[in-house]
Amino acid sequence: MATRKKVLLKVIILGESGVGKTSLMNQYVNRKFSNQYKATIGADFLTKEVQVDDRIVTMQIWDTAGQERFQSLGVAFYRGADCCVLVFDVTAPNTFKSLDSWRDEFLVQAAPQDPENFPFVVLGNKVDLEPRAISTKRAQQWCQSKNNIPYFETSAKEALNVEQAFQSIARNALSQQNHTVDLYSELPEPISLTKTAPRNNGDSCAC
Amino acid sequence: METNCNKMEDSDEFMELYIQDGVLLNSAPATYMNCINTTGTLLITEYLNSNKTRYIEWKPNDVTIDSDVQDQEWAVVNTVKGRNRTFSGSLPPESSNRSKYIKINFKDIKSFRVARSSHKLTFYDGKSDPICTFTFLHCNCDSFVGCLKSFMRTALAKRDKHLFIVLDDYLDTPETNRLDKSFAELDLFQEQPSDLMWRFVKNFQNKPYETTMEAFSKLTDIGRKNYSPTNEPSVSGNLENSMLSVYRGPEHRYMDDEVNELLNRSLEGVDYSLSTQYEYVPKLPERKEPPRGTPLTIEQWKTLQDNEGRIEDVEPIKAIIFRGGIDPALRKEVWKYLLDYYPWNSTHEERSKIIEKKKAEYYTMKRQWSTMSQIQEDNFSDFRERKSLIEKDVRRTDRTLDYFSGDNNPNLEVLYDILMTYAMYNFDLGYVQGMSDLLSPILNLEDNEVDAFWCFVGFMNKVSLNFDIDQAGMKEQLQHLHTLLEFLQPELANYLDHHDSGNMFFCFRWVLVWFKRELSQEDTTRLWEVLWTGVPCHNFHLLVCIAILETEKDALVGNNYGFTEILRHVNDLSGNLNVDAMICRAEGMYYQIREAEHLTNNIRSILGLPLVNGTTDTNDSKEASPLTSTDVSNDLQSCSLEAIGDEEVQCDRAINLSYL
Repeated sequence: MATRKKVLLKVIILGESGVGKTSLMNQYVNRKFSNQYKATIGADFLTKEVQVDDRIVTMQIWDTAGQERFQSLGVAFYRGADCCVLVFDVTAPNTFKSLDSWRDEFLVQAAPQDPENFPFVVLGNKVDLEPRAISTKRAQQWCQSKNNIPYFETSAKEALNVEQAFQSIARNALSQQNHTVDLYSELPEPISLTKTAPRNNGDSCAC
Repeated sequence: METNCNKMEDSDEFMELYIQDGVLLNSAPATYMNCINTTGTLLITEYLNSNKTRYIEWKPNDVTIDSDVQDQEWAVVNTVKGRNRTFSGSLPPESSNRSKYIKINFKDIKSFRVARSSHKLTFYDGKSDPICTFTFLHCNCDSFVGCLKSFMRTALAKRDKHLFIVLDDYLDTPETNRLDKSFAELDLFQEQPSDLMWRFVKNFQNKPYETTMEAFSKLTDIGRKNYSPTNEPSVSGNLENSMLSVYRGPEHRYMDDEVNELLNRSLEGVDYSLSTQYEYVPKLPERKEPPRGTPLTIEQWKTLQDNEGRIEDVEPIKAIIFRGGIDPALRKEVWKYLLDYYPWNSTHEERSKIIEKKKAEYYTMKRQWSTMSQIQEDNFSDFRERKSLIEKDVRRTDRTLDYFSGDNNPNLEVLYDILMTYAMYNFDLGYVQGMSDLLSPILNLEDNEVDAFWCFVGFMNKVSLNFDIDQAGMKEQLQHLHTLLEFLQPELANYLDHHDSGNMFFCFRWVLVWFKRELSQEDTTRLWEVLWTGVPCHNFHLLVCIAILETEKDALVGNNYGFTEILRHVNDLSGNLNVDAMICRAEGMYYQIREAEHLTNNIRSILGLPLVNGTTDTNDSKEASPLTSTDVSNDLQSCSLEAIGDEEVQCDRAINLSYL
């Protein structure tokens, strides 16, 4: 068995403007929250060393601008991603509705080897705020319909569930790296053991 | 002896060694007239006949190029489409289509030239006219050229750093096949050797270290698998040699040399040092950096106005502002001129009328959105979208400044109202992130809703291209930035090209909001008023970018930074820039460019300098013309640029005046 090399996990955070992408990243990496983050222009990233099971891995978390017209820029940063985090604001329905297009766009632009099994994680952020517009059930249904994407409800402001969510992100990203078939090796395709998600009717459709 | 794909002695079976989509045909022999300015696919092919003849081929997509082409470039700028697959088939049968295919035998290529920031590739057959010229729309042609160079030995022309001369009859020699074969016999990958070889080369180019280690680890694995006591144990202490000698084919061939040579060949297309590509770089004139001056004072301002308050001679004022900025007490007034709210030659009386008129106009537009009923709003999604974006951004614009700090700060409301009104004033543009950054210092200074609005309109008129829905303006500026960098700092440009950063994305924030995120509010205002003067040339802000990059060159190159580290480093410059030094250096660069003997029309047009016609400017004058230019549009372009040229002369005069 080859010695374990240092692992770098590249994670891309996507979602509408103002859902809290920068705040989540900063809460996770720096354990800080500020009301004074500016709108992200261009792209930025932070890194953090994390332990996943018995391995120490470095997460490189990428934060890009949320406004649609800047997406053509984001593309340059999607390359080589190991996991994509889709964030919406549980108090703003339109940010949930756009998850579909964020996911699709990511798959088109990042063009991962195995789009069906590429790991996404969905975060419903700002659960500290009222009134709630997207129920847990509705978000979960959407996630199930997309090949069982893990779903977490978070508050970057109150550091609620952020650590757990990013642990899951790291784990998923790592599994993606392990599954990625080395160009020169002859490993067979990994066999997916997950059942096909039940198709759900109606409720998850963005009205 | 033969590789397995070489079964057929007849001709039509071929292997694609490299495929590149999105390649525009710019020029070709008359037979292909109909295909010019169409996009297609450029291939390197190898025909599986006994000679293994290789060709450059181009086939059209049957899609006519249009102005949207740039979008594709942006969207896929990093996906170098180096699909390498083999396929046993032939080009579609002889048909009308077939006549559109361009096929150039490697043997006919005597040289090729890479231009336009590696987006344009021209092949020559040794006669005066080129055979064909192609423009790579989706990415630069470095990867393609790299592949090409792995099949032919080339050298850079002494006097033209973009021209590669094909050296000898290296093509299609048995040696090439033998190299393929030696790799095939290693049987590392069970694929077509050429295919594999090029992928290795390509990976090598992108990630030399990782690829090398990966390849060696493969050799190691194979070595282990094949090692048995019957194999001769290696006596060499050298790991590579021992691994290679452990696995020796039935003929006990020594492959070390061949593998070495393959590696060397692959390296030919790759630059590791900074300057190998640039054997001859024309020298720029010595840098002269005139010192910064003192700000425009109230006394100067008053003496430059006539009794009725007119300013007839604007250039000296702009020159003073360019050199030293504006006295803070005078800013509030002078910005209104710089941002085209007040005409320079208006009288006191005319200005009071303008103020009245603009005030009324503003409040009319403000009422258009502020009186919208809930039902109207519910039925107007575009409006809701703009409104929601503005709400989000106003809450997070410069909240650390006293002027915008604290809860329920009334200035935030004004910021919101101005942005909403601007969205009504220019609904198509609407609100784009970054705009609140541009408004904040203006509102802070003017401290008046109507004045700030009209000044903001003036600023937006200067930079609205930054906010295009398709980002075309930003793409163009980043391209121009690269072109200027190539001229001023070719080594750095070359370094960035080879570290996934030739697209200059890491300067996006600088360009979008004119360094607002990098500088303090005070420094931002000082830089902006300098840039608003339009002195000494167009796109001076791009020279400011290069001034910063030049300062950071040692850090970027010395640390061998790659894509992510470059971005990290550039983002971290925020708060650590010296605005005066940036402007000084940028101005020095401007003089260097203007006086450079090898100044091209491309650079001239970026900076708004008068173009030079005809004979004096040889190669690059062609490159200055736009992709789909015709003679007519060229004429128009030079006309408009001549007009700019006059302005330019005035600017120079003004700068000289300000020295006095």
